[in-house]
Amino acid sequence: MNGEGRTPAHHETTPVPHEAAAVPHRAAAAGPVAEIRDLRVEVGGRAIVDGVSLRVSPGTVTALVGASGSGKTTTGLALLGEYPAGARVTGDVRVGGAGRVTGDARAGACGLVGYIPQHPATVLNPARRVSALLTDLARAQVSHLPRGRRRAEARARVLRALEEAQLADGEALVRRYPHQLSGGQQQRVVLAQALLLGARVIVADEPTTGQDALTRSRVVERFAAVAGRGVAVVLLCHDLDVVRALADEVVVLRAGRVVESGPARRILRSPRHEWTRELLGEQPRFPQPDGSPRTGRPVLRVRGLTARHRDGARGTAVVLRVPALDLYGGECLAVVGRSGSGKTTLARCLAGLHRDRDGTVLLDGAPLPDSVRDRGRAQLAAVQYVFQDAHAAFDEHRSVLHQVARTAIRLRRTDTDTATREASALLARLGLPGDLVRRRPGRLSGGELQRAALARALLARPRVLVCDEITSGLDTLTRRHLLGLLTALVRDRGDLSLVLITHALDTAALAHRIAVLDAGEIVEQGPARRVLTAPSHPFTVSLMGRRN
Amino acid sequence: MSGLRSFVARRLLLGVLQTAAVVLLVFALTEALPGDAAVALAGDQPDPERVEAVREAMRLDRPAGERLADWAAGLLHGDLGTSLVSGRPVSRYLADGFGPTLLLAALTVVLLVPAGFGLGVLAARHAGRPADRLISSVTLAVYAVPEFALGVLLVTVLSLRLGWLPPTAVGHGTELLAHPAVLVLPVLVLLSRPVCSLARMVRAGMIDALASPYAAQARRYGVSGARVRYAHALPNALAPAAQQLARTVDWLLSGVIVVEALYAVPGLGTVLLGAVAERDVPVVQGLAVVFGVLTVVLNLGADLVAHRFAPRAGVAA
Repeated sequence: MNGEGRTPAHHETTPVPHEAAAVPHRAAAAGPVAEIRDLRVEVGGRAIVDGVSLRVSPGTVTALVGASGSGKTTTGLALLGEYPAGARVTGDVRVGGAGRVTGDARAGACGLVGYIPQHPATVLNPARRVSALLTDLARAQVSHLPRGRRRAEARARVLRALEEAQLADGEALVRRYPHQLSGGQQQRVVLAQALLLGARVIVADEPTTGQDALTRSRVVERFAAVAGRGVAVVLLCHDLDVVRALADEVVVLRAGRVVESGPARRILRSPRHEWTRELLGEQPRFPQPDGSPRTGRPVLRVRGLTARHRDGARGTAVVLRVPALDLYGGECLAVVGRSGSGKTTLARCLAGLHRDRDGTVLLDGAPLPDSVRDRGRAQLAAVQYVFQDAHAAFDEHRSVLHQVARTAIRLRRTDTDTATREASALLARLGLPGDLVRRRPGRLSGGELQRAALARALLARPRVLVCDEITSGLDTLTRRHLLGLLTALVRDRGDLSLVLITHALDTAALAHRIAVLDAGEIVEQGPARRVLTAPSHPFTVSLMGRRN
Repeated sequence: MSGLRSFVARRLLLGVLQTAAVVLLVFALTEALPGDAAVALAGDQPDPERVEAVREAMRLDRPAGERLADWAAGLLHGDLGTSLVSGRPVSRYLADGFGPTLLLAALTVVLLVPAGFGLGVLAARHAGRPADRLISSVTLAVYAVPEFALGVLLVTVLSLRLGWLPPTAVGHGTELLAHPAVLVLPVLVLLSRPVCSLARMVRAGMIDALASPYAAQARRYGVSGARVRYAHALPNALAPAAQQLARTVDWLLSGVIVVEALYAVPGLGTVLLGAVAERDVPVVQGLAVVFGVLTVVLNLGADLVAHRFAPRAGVAA
């Protein structure tokens, strides 16, 4: 954990025994419960956090806002005393108020700071039941009791913490494995760990990423309740709706520096810094075609499509039924629906990634084979797919440029030099300079990698580009940038058609047409403006109703 | 839980079919070999008439299908048949050979599990440091030495040169436990490679698990290092190790022919070697049934362990 070459600065923590920490501290309400002063974290000569100062008070929610790569997570993890490997750290990180005792870098080990990562499942042990870590934590707190009573008391504490984290039926829940819980339950279990620990500061990293509106509002309620118990919540977040609903204090970060900080109301209403205004700004729009968007012949026609999933030994389940769907040249079609509605399956059928299907997909009138394996080079190039998880879509051992250029070599039979030249030019146009793309994927941020994935697909010169939730893991600014790129693409390359798979209505609003999927059926499709302003199907109405 | 029960039932059924297939294959292969028990019995200068007479006495002149059917019918009643050569029941052969093999296997596993897991966890704990380098390179080196070579080396050095241990188990019959010294060398040789593969597998799994976010979460919340290692990280390294262990136990129980032959241990491996040399088909088939059943049961057990410690993966059947 402590990388070599880093100089631990003064990381002071108060030595609060587990016993005391288990009781919410009202005494500390007077001053800040955690404070960062002039923190600078340098990795490989580059400062990823530079001069950040921060005060966190009990019972308040402090939101760190900024684009990805702005230093939010590094700052948040500094409260836990954790830094990237090989980092040089200077500055003060103090947790616990007045008492200043030089502890080791692991402030969190004293039971003061809890952590809820972006994907809570990652901190839940897949091979152990949910109770594993909870029981370990509770056991450490009951060691003063006589041996016979420890077990019952530890159990009672675990159940109490689960209840405080709004998990009903804790008895049954602790016996399950993490994969048997929903995402929301997993998050609450991790929250219960922090509450059981008696954490006075809880760092929550992007707690609402990739979730639909209903789930987001529940997460907001959950953290509001936690702050109500006197815990200081540090929210690392790019979801401005959540920041609006929750935050008392906002710290705006850019490239590792604090751009602006202050009360949430003031910053959100009247941002002083230009960068903050940009962060809060408006979204771009796809060019609305003149008159009817349905011009010319459709590029892609879907007829009588039925897709199934194998359901273990129980046979197959039909997950998608699309009697007819057309995609016209130069058009952007958004496919919206809740998670599990069949959006991705539709996209995968178009790209030939879902074999278990009936019906036809016609490209310029000629049927496309069901599986990518049976598609010819031209057919492969014509329909390109950009995946949600850009990190998983790249080979981590080769440079990004190399992987992007492969598209041209494989699908258009260009030679290596031409392909590399074209790839660099395209990547540069998407804002990825030459030295960056010569790195391996692990060195690029999520937004940068997603742009590289876009470049990789575009280098095939596709007719149809399928974008599957490509902005859902990104922060507001990066998302806007990426959507702006897509807008420009559709505008500049008149023949490119876009299928935009999304659960976010504000993203769908950028499309020409919207198709709404519910439980595998297209319940409504039509021009974007009409679907959004005058939805005809009850499900679409309910989807609109949940906006904000 | 019913899903698990049906999985076990399906696997057992599949196992019966697999065992039957193994028996058929073994029968077909021994049939395909030139010569038979009669020829083997007739010795170096076979007189064709005498061979024919022996063949008739052994009832080997009947069609192969009939002989197989007879034997299979007996099997259904728990009768494994009788040896062509000695006329003793096959079950006696198995019972006699099973004792020494089981003893060797049990001793080996008792030492293998703590040594393999201990070395693996130790290496993972010091990953990249001298202790890990030492364990990793020594296990790789030992793993690269085949059993017979190591066996001969140990006999040469420890028995013949130094005279510390008896070179073979000759003369002790099946009463090996009364003379523990004769067991040392065979167990050492049997241990050598499995310890290495198990340790390396546990090490790899532990390094992954210790670097995982859930181990980091346990550490950051003040759980002690030993508890993180053994209660939180080790369970994640168990599933692949259990599969490896099952294969090892299977290998041990199926009579490790090289080691048994080298040290003259009268186990199943020695019985198998003798039966094949004498074309004693019923004994070979009896052994095939036993080995088949062992393999099926052990692998099923390993899958159940894997299911317990990697519940997400589900179990493929």
